[in-house]
Amino acid sequence: MIEQIRATAREILQNKTVDLVIGYEVGTRGATRPAFICSADEVDRLIWNDACTHNLTNYVRGKHVPPKRDAPPARLGLVLKACDARALNVLLRENQVPRGDLYLIGVVCEGMRQDAGFATRTLGDLQPRCQTCTERVPVVYDSLIGERKTSEVFETSEVWQELDRLGVMTPGERQAFWDAEFARCLRCYACRQVCPACYCVECTAEQLDPEWVGIGICTPEKRFFHTMRAYHLAGRCVGCDECARVCPIGVRLDLLNAWFRREVQQTFDYQAGIDATTLVPLATFKPNENLEL
Amino acid sequence: MINPYIPYLGRLTDIQSLGTGIKLFKVQLENGTPAGEFSYRPGQFAFVSAFGVGEAPFGITSVCGIDNTVDFAVNKVGTVTRALHEMNVGDMVGVRGPMGNWFPLEDIKGKNVIFLGGGIGGAPLRPVITSILHDRNSYGNMTILWAARNPKLLVFTDEYDIWRQSPRTELHLTVDEGDAGWTGNVGLITALLQKVKPSPDNATVIICGPPIMIHFAIIELQKMGFTSEQIITTLEAKMKCGIGKCGRCNIGEKYVCLHGPVFSHMEIKEFLESFL
Amino acid sequence: MNFITHVQLQDWLARMMKDRTVIAPTRAIEDLVRYQPVNSPDAIAFDFTRTAISPKEFFLPASEAILTIERVRQIAAGSNNPEWNVKLGEPELDRSQVLFAIRPCDTHALLALDALLLQEPVDAYYARRRKQTTLIGLACEHPGATCFCTSLSFAPDDSNGMDVMLYPVEGGYALEAQTEKGQVLTDNLALAPYRGERPQKTWLPAEFSVPPRVVWTQLFNDPHWGRLADRCLSCKICAYVCPTCRCFDVRDYIVAQGLGYQKIERLRCWDSCMAEGYQRIAGGHNPRPTKAQRLRNRFYCKFDYYPADFGALACVGCGRCIEYCPVNVDITEVLQSVAIKGETLATNSTRL
Repeated sequence: MIEQIRATAREILQNKTVDLVIGYEVGTRGATRPAFICSADEVDRLIWNDACTHNLTNYVRGKHVPPKRDAPPARLGLVLKACDARALNVLLRENQVPRGDLYLIGVVCEGMRQDAGFATRTLGDLQPRCQTCTERVPVVYDSLIGERKTSEVFETSEVWQELDRLGVMTPGERQAFWDAEFARCLRCYACRQVCPACYCVECTAEQLDPEWVGIGICTPEKRFFHTMRAYHLAGRCVGCDECARVCPIGVRLDLLNAWFRREVQQTFDYQAGIDATTLVPLATFKPNENLEL
Repeated sequence: MINPYIPYLGRLTDIQSLGTGIKLFKVQLENGTPAGEFSYRPGQFAFVSAFGVGEAPFGITSVCGIDNTVDFAVNKVGTVTRALHEMNVGDMVGVRGPMGNWFPLEDIKGKNVIFLGGGIGGAPLRPVITSILHDRNSYGNMTILWAARNPKLLVFTDEYDIWRQSPRTELHLTVDEGDAGWTGNVGLITALLQKVKPSPDNATVIICGPPIMIHFAIIELQKMGFTSEQIITTLEAKMKCGIGKCGRCNIGEKYVCLHGPVFSHMEIKEFLESFL
Repeated sequence: MNFITHVQLQDWLARMMKDRTVIAPTRAIEDLVRYQPVNSPDAIAFDFTRTAISPKEFFLPASEAILTIERVRQIAAGSNNPEWNVKLGEPELDRSQVLFAIRPCDTHALLALDALLLQEPVDAYYARRRKQTTLIGLACEHPGATCFCTSLSFAPDDSNGMDVMLYPVEGGYALEAQTEKGQVLTDNLALAPYRGERPQKTWLPAEFSVPPRVVWTQLFNDPHWGRLADRCLSCKICAYVCPTCRCFDVRDYIVAQGLGYQKIERLRCWDSCMAEGYQRIAGGHNPRPTKAQRLRNRFYCKFDYYPADFGALACVGCGRCIEYCPVNVDITEVLQSVAIKGETLATNSTRL
């Protein structure tokens, strides 16, 4: 598969279909990290393994912007897993980048391991999101690499069981649970920065005029930030769990966003990013909509 | 140990309009604070607090020992400046300072001094001009080039006649865009510089204005034969503490609040980072 | 030097906890050791190389009030008009505290912060916390996976800056009080003298050295910074886990309000030059709009600007940024890359 990824990248760079290919490479201390390849003779840096956890859709908007004011925007090649491809559909649906400027190298994924992408950690078991993934094949691509092998799909994961436990708590107990999580938060905003769906030029949490939330790294402000972000992501989050992976304090953002995904699924029978055309339930208003919930 | 984060309290004794969106605030430091300790020189700045909103740094436009209030010219661009603009005479503000370095008024004695002031950038230059007027014979010719985007943004207009009437002093005004009543120069300050053509002989130039104006003015001055030692400017940056602790205002290894805001071009041309 | 057994250590800590806040490493959640106030010696974790977050939060808290303002609406004598009367206050600080088991790298970081924050004008709040805190250091037994203190000419058993120093030895620790503050804590301990050899230095070979200033200056516009910044997320993890990063934001907040009354706190909170809007001024201009400029600034600040301005390296080799960066921006890779490029430049210039 690695050879096919490299061959595809080499071809689209050589025939100038794209200016840049974003994929994965091995960095220092064995860590897998995002790679930015701008010439065909560098494609041998590209790899594929079970630590390619990063959602590369996150880099699309930043790299699509033209380098100089009057230059045309860059055309990008992107290595995408199934979840990343759905994230790309979210961006396409929201008109954030034209499809024509992208060449998508879809890769069939057998799942990523826990603690992937860090410099010193040993890879663990399959990540919870991968345990229950029914897709494995990206929903949008220009080239597809790999074939779906029969691999185990877990009926349930620990995360779903935790959601059930949260579900039977009283609101007071749930608030105490989340406040304990948020108490550890440092407001480093890594969760927001790594998320492809969080692309606001100026985040609500950092706006000063008007100021929605203060700068304090204290529980009320953190509760506001995380709750607001979860609401802004409802119907748009694809469950890549990168936010939880990057958090240095282990705040359970995977659980928080899974809660919202479940709510959206149950209420609207909707999953984010399956295609780039379906109207997003929480971003769509129909005048004759039934408002009784 | 003096706590440098505690401001002096000051009462607004007068608020004047200096231009569209620009006001001059005159602050009387309260008796309870050691106001005698608040001695400052032209070029220095202070943080003014709009309590409940925050503080922001402003160049001090008054001259210690000549003016009996501490004055700040404030352009309404953000949250703190908006809060200040909504205040009335009698309201209390905080003043934390004085901070930064100052213009080398001693070193330029005997020289011809040329001022290039753009918009609100004229505010830090005003105390230098006033200081020279009060010690007129210690300095050579004074050539003041004053610019703004339009006539309503020219600051300190009520002092222009005082400046003009001083011996060996010229004032030249220009605006980017005139209005119905404007009969003066129209064009950028660099065009005015080319027209006035001040001589570099025994001269010092002090520039203050938007960074892009400073950038192009320096190019023009160098073409006219001014050396780096002859060019002095004052820079701005986003600041939070003003005393070199919070790390925000650095341009390379220089902190605008500690090593500046007054910088000579000798220093600026060694900057790794651009001040733009 | 004295010898303290494990049991004697527990007793000593338990007695300390009665009238002081004792901050020690504890396991916050699985695999995450952090310094936190503890009530019992049982809560202390000893099996760690260095903690996840540095102990700088006890000297420069993530959020703290640096000024309180009370505004009361009054009618002044001889006037009909109400006006706001303003009273300023300084927040009180906590009782004296002990920071137990601080590693040499983290104390070195405090010394680096001292070089800035204790320089005139002194940062009153940091200074008071430094004065009120007694540091009990613990020498390292083995290096962590990302440690590189020796490459910066520091040592894992360095007692510089500690009030009391502990070196792990058979059966307990070799203990030495180094300052008056340290002696206050150790005076009543009935300890046997330590008769062994001076504890063996933990072995961590230096792998590289910090390139000199001239190399950093020459590489300022090198395209390497842009390529490095491609994968950077502009999150603030590296700055927040770092023991020397100290940039902060300041803003006022109304914390209580009533008829004719307002209580305001001026808060200062951690911030980082990595954030996109860090230097943006009112009006919208941003001097560092690109990731490359911001990432470059962070490394230059650590290895070029801070040493030039304040006389200390703003990096101690703890390796937290390497461990927690989600996209493998590795400070040792940067240093080695700068060193290699520096050598190439030197070779090229001698050839000319």
